[in-house]
Amino acid sequence: MAHSSTSQPGSSKTSPPGPPGTSQTSPATASGPASPRALAWNRRLAAAQKNWKVFLEDRAGVAGGIVLILVVLVAAFAPLIADRSMLDVTQNLDQPRYAPPSAEHPLGTDNYGRELWARLVWGARVSLIVGLAATAMSMIIGTIMGMAAGHFSGLFGGLIMRIIDFFLVLPSLLLAIVLSSVLERGVLTIVIAIGITSWAGTARIVRAQTLSAESRLYIERAKVLGAGHWHIIRTHLLPAVMPLVLANTTLTVGSAIIAESTLAFLGLGDTTQQSWGTILKNAMDVSAATSGYWWYILTPGLAIVAVVLAFTLVGRAIEAIANPTLRSR
Amino acid sequence: MSRTDPATASGAQPAGSRAAAEAPGTTQQKHTMQQMGTTQQKGTAQQKGTAQSTGTGDTAARQAGSDLVFDDVSILYSSRTSRGDIPAVKNVTLELPAGGTLGIAGESGSGKSTLILSALRLLPHNATLTGQVLLGGTDIAELNFGQMRAVRWSQASIIFQGALHSLNPVRPVGKQILEALELHVKDDWRTDAARSTRMHELLGHVDLGPEIAKSYPHELSGGQKQRVMIAMALACDPDIIIADEPTTALDVIVQEQILTRLRELVEARGISLLMISHDLSVLAAACDRLAIMREGEIVELGPAEQVCNDPKEEYTRQLADAFPTIGDPDSRLNPMTRNPARITTDTPHEMTDEVVLAAENLNVTFSARGRTVRAVRNVDLTLHRSEILAVVGQSGSGKTTLARALLGLQPPDRGSTLTFHGKPLPTSAKGLRAFRRDVQMILQDPSGSLNPALSTYESVAEGLRVQKFTGDERQRVRESLESTELIPGEDFFEPIPQELSGGQRQRVVIASALALDPDILIADEPVASLDASVRGEILSLILALKKNLGLTALVITHDLGLAWNIADTVAVMYRGEIVERGPVEQVLLDPQHDYTRQLLAAVPSFRSQRASMTAPEAPGTTEQTGASQQGTTERTGAAEQSATERPDASRRTGDAAQVVDPQ
Amino acid sequence: MSVNAETEAADPQSADGREDIDAPPPGQSFGGYLLRKVGGALISLLMVVLLGFFAFRILPGDPVQKIARERQMSPEQMELLRAEYGLDKPLVVQFWDYLVGIFTGNLGTSYVYREPVSQLIAEYAWPTLLLTGSAAILAIGLGLWMGQLAAWKRGSLFDKLTTSTSLVFWSVPTFWLALLLLMIFAGRLQWLPTGGMVSPGVESGSLEHVVDVAKHLILPVITMTAVVYAQYLMVMRASLLGEMSADYLTTARAKGLREDDVRLKHAVPNALLPTVTLVFMHIGGLITGAVTVETVFSWPGLGKLTYEAISGPDLPLLQGTFVVFSSAIIIMNLLADLIYRQLDPRVRRA
Repeated sequence: MAHSSTSQPGSSKTSPPGPPGTSQTSPATASGPASPRALAWNRRLAAAQKNWKVFLEDRAGVAGGIVLILVVLVAAFAPLIADRSMLDVTQNLDQPRYAPPSAEHPLGTDNYGRELWARLVWGARVSLIVGLAATAMSMIIGTIMGMAAGHFSGLFGGLIMRIIDFFLVLPSLLLAIVLSSVLERGVLTIVIAIGITSWAGTARIVRAQTLSAESRLYIERAKVLGAGHWHIIRTHLLPAVMPLVLANTTLTVGSAIIAESTLAFLGLGDTTQQSWGTILKNAMDVSAATSGYWWYILTPGLAIVAVVLAFTLVGRAIEAIANPTLRSR
Repeated sequence: MSRTDPATASGAQPAGSRAAAEAPGTTQQKHTMQQMGTTQQKGTAQQKGTAQSTGTGDTAARQAGSDLVFDDVSILYSSRTSRGDIPAVKNVTLELPAGGTLGIAGESGSGKSTLILSALRLLPHNATLTGQVLLGGTDIAELNFGQMRAVRWSQASIIFQGALHSLNPVRPVGKQILEALELHVKDDWRTDAARSTRMHELLGHVDLGPEIAKSYPHELSGGQKQRVMIAMALACDPDIIIADEPTTALDVIVQEQILTRLRELVEARGISLLMISHDLSVLAAACDRLAIMREGEIVELGPAEQVCNDPKEEYTRQLADAFPTIGDPDSRLNPMTRNPARITTDTPHEMTDEVVLAAENLNVTFSARGRTVRAVRNVDLTLHRSEILAVVGQSGSGKTTLARALLGLQPPDRGSTLTFHGKPLPTSAKGLRAFRRDVQMILQDPSGSLNPALSTYESVAEGLRVQKFTGDERQRVRESLESTELIPGEDFFEPIPQELSGGQRQRVVIASALALDPDILIADEPVASLDASVRGEILSLILALKKNLGLTALVITHDLGLAWNIADTVAVMYRGEIVERGPVEQVLLDPQHDYTRQLLAAVPSFRSQRASMTAPEAPGTTEQTGASQQGTTERTGAAEQSATERPDASRRTGDAAQVVDPQ
Repeated sequence: MSVNAETEAADPQSADGREDIDAPPPGQSFGGYLLRKVGGALISLLMVVLLGFFAFRILPGDPVQKIARERQMSPEQMELLRAEYGLDKPLVVQFWDYLVGIFTGNLGTSYVYREPVSQLIAEYAWPTLLLTGSAAILAIGLGLWMGQLAAWKRGSLFDKLTTSTSLVFWSVPTFWLALLLLMIFAGRLQWLPTGGMVSPGVESGSLEHVVDVAKHLILPVITMTAVVYAQYLMVMRASLLGEMSADYLTTARAKGLREDDVRLKHAVPNALLPTVTLVFMHIGGLITGAVTVETVFSWPGLGKLTYEAISGPDLPLLQGTFVVFSSAIIIMNLLADLIYRQLDPRVRRA
């Protein structure tokens, strides 16, 4: 993330040779010679601290971060918060069905008399796991494809370009629907279906960033020094691309969660698992919208919006750090 | 210091305000006395007592006949960063007399662009102006926005820096000229037909055919765009034309043509010209008076001849020295600088007879954008140990391709012979890697050549790691840095490129090349992107490296003065061919080839230009010979330029965006 | 799409021969551009066709077993089904039949409807076109207009409001917004019909019919517009912000243009160009939105057909809707490229 230091104005003073700017000089210089690697690490640490400060100044991003921490905690401790038996249809026969929110049933109950809040707590797990896993997959494919398309020229690069373009144009959710229809039902299928269809956007951004890094003279200089593909990718391209990938990751988690809930809503999810999309699917199946069971629809949707919005806000905050030219936006 | 009372100034009928008399539509006269006051005025009042201009010795000449007056102008950029407000212009007092020409010279960030934007109230919102700007005797702060818009372009127009971006890319250029005419309708162009005729006339004035009107900016060359910009500036018969770096990024010969044309047009119409540039010699060629600006202040002001030839300030001398006079023995093998590199040896290395690198019948052909380009043709070249050879040519002449071929980055055609120490250049990946240890390259722009995320140490050590250097890496990095006078080397391990000055960055780039202990250094425009005051330092360093270490170097440049400053031999390249080569003195003082003569004639040098001004027909003839000769030739050069130098273009804009600091 | 603009070669143009050193750059020929774009689209279409075969005949293993999983079937019935869909033939023959079918407009027979898939799709296509078309026009108009205003007034209350609203809409799952609107306006307030396209008993072709369809259209269109306009808004805003510091705007101001003219005559036309590409790229999102929106509002279109194919599962029908949807999007993107070429004299780099 040392990238963001490009935004520091005023470091290009024209001065005769002398001690360089000391804006980020670490204490190590004062306390005797340190190894250059340690110096580099110190600088990165300082840069990380500075980025953290910038992040903290973004109030929306911080709010999103807090929401995310809360949701992750809830998902992690779901078994402690709500016993698994609360989800079992057969063990809730004595509970009232379609009970509106009240002191006894804080978020109301569903058509089997289950507490909605318990379903939401457990649903957070699937939503987060699918969102994160699918994003990880999408990021890995997207980064590799994007860098390959940007770095390699000729037939190979052209072929990859073609594939990226294809997936970019193809509606990803439609392909995900198809994949999850024909494959075995399960969380893994959903992850694969989303991951394999949502990487093209990332690849496009990574490719653009790779191309811009590639046109830099330092890549040319590395070639003059005798560096091969691997050295150039590892030393120059990857660090240039990673901050954007990171920001994009956070934004993609949001869309992956929406995609998961949509697939679940269409009945393509794992029916044995709770997920916010599944709850809404159940709600639609019993015509909750036209029958007045508003709590059955409202809360799961709000949960999705809150988490997706939180990821989006955090992603935008990271993006502003990774790409300082966006900061004024 | 005398100061014009704003009320008097705006009330007086200025002799220079011809537009007001000619154009009834311009309303500023009626409104000048109204208090359209803004914050600027208050600022002026506060500033009055304390502020003192540095432009001393000139203000006494102030009179009502001035077209444009900056009276104690300071401009402050407020910024949200921790650095607080940034003063871009400090207490500048300048005047442009009616029909006069004034040049402002300064390096990037000296505040000169900010100053001229204030003349038409075009500053961004976060800028605060104190002091007064009088345009045709009117304080522009007193105009309301509608009046200001009426003044813009009809009274003063601007030729913006780099017409590349200053024209709307999605509108035909003719329409963009028409737009100005439609906004400021005057008697001569009341009808659409009249406007269209005038637009074509204007294009004719700048030697462009009527068909250009339908072109989009991207279809035009840099020179053509600049001509369109000039035509547009002339459109509404302004009193003043302000030219912001009008010829930067153009080739010497094109630059000379455009400057000549601009000067002719301005003189013929009695327009006042305010020109700013980083290049003192360009200004000297076009302006009678010169102001030198540094860090927001005017440090020197006077007649062009005096400022150039007898500068009072050390800083002005540095700027002037950056453009040596070819033939001046003082600057031969002696780049002028405040910080000359030290010669550490008693027996400096001199050019030897030992051939290190030789090219025979070298041809490079490549296909770019669907057609074949012969970028380098039948080139014979030898580089001796401890020789500095300058390859001089305009962009598109194939000199960069030549360098890439010599480095093994671009495969030469069959039949070409390239030998290194008598052996043919390796072609295998492994052989090339070893070869690259021996031949290193310094690329044009130090800011782009260093990865912004890597520290100096990492950048210098990169080559050592790539080449699997087995010795003490740390020590070698330190030695390399110190050989480029970054002393002590350890102090420079840590900073990343943004924390270094431009000159320091280029030293780091040179150090990283030297770290591999190469036999040959190939430098592509090593000082082209540096400020004038740093130029001498780096050239002096290259010269010292040759003397101290016996370095062999091939320097690619468009700058004949650079060859005069440091090279032993020079090769002039034109359309892929080397048209003339030999010892520097011989080629530059007694040129045999037409093209070399043409290049030498086009170099703007204030001493020679002063002479040509007394004989105004001289520039015209050079332009004609230039045009006729060029008309007969193929366009290989341009294609090569677009194919090989495109990345440079994008990088340049990227860098321009980085320069946010008006300091 | 223009994302591969960098790799595009340019053809030489006649030189004016005036200045050699200072020659204008070579331009691009329209023929080459057309050929490249059409060729690219054809390759994409071929990839869709291959993907259709791969996803429906190879990935599931035995498609019949997949269909049979949801219902009771005897082995004899399954054999019969296999024969009917030609699944007992070798894979190469199946592929050939599939290709021939695609090019002759025969997409097989729906398992649930027992009707030719192509006939079903033709029947259900118009309502979808009506729905997505209206939503697209609204979303593009609204998004682009508000986006450029927000960018121009960056940091203002308007900008903050529109930006945060679109961020929220961006985070809303389409189907949930549909459920919410359905619940409020059709369920609770009963202002609008709960679903379908026409109320029963309305005479076809009458004015009443038109009004009735319009009433049914309101909620689905609002849903789809709300979710998609936000993306267009953000794209347009970012694009115009990128142009705002452009030098040619300073030129325009120096010429004495009014701020509104600077924006509408100079800044917006430039900002619009990269937006066009992205707008069309997001059309795919609009179409997938149709699947859930049509499901919630029982809108008799391709989206609802897709939903029914999923719940069948009716693999031939799903295959058909997939191929048709994807092809439509690829062709729309091709059109976008051609329009783009007309709009942008430079065919700008992405």
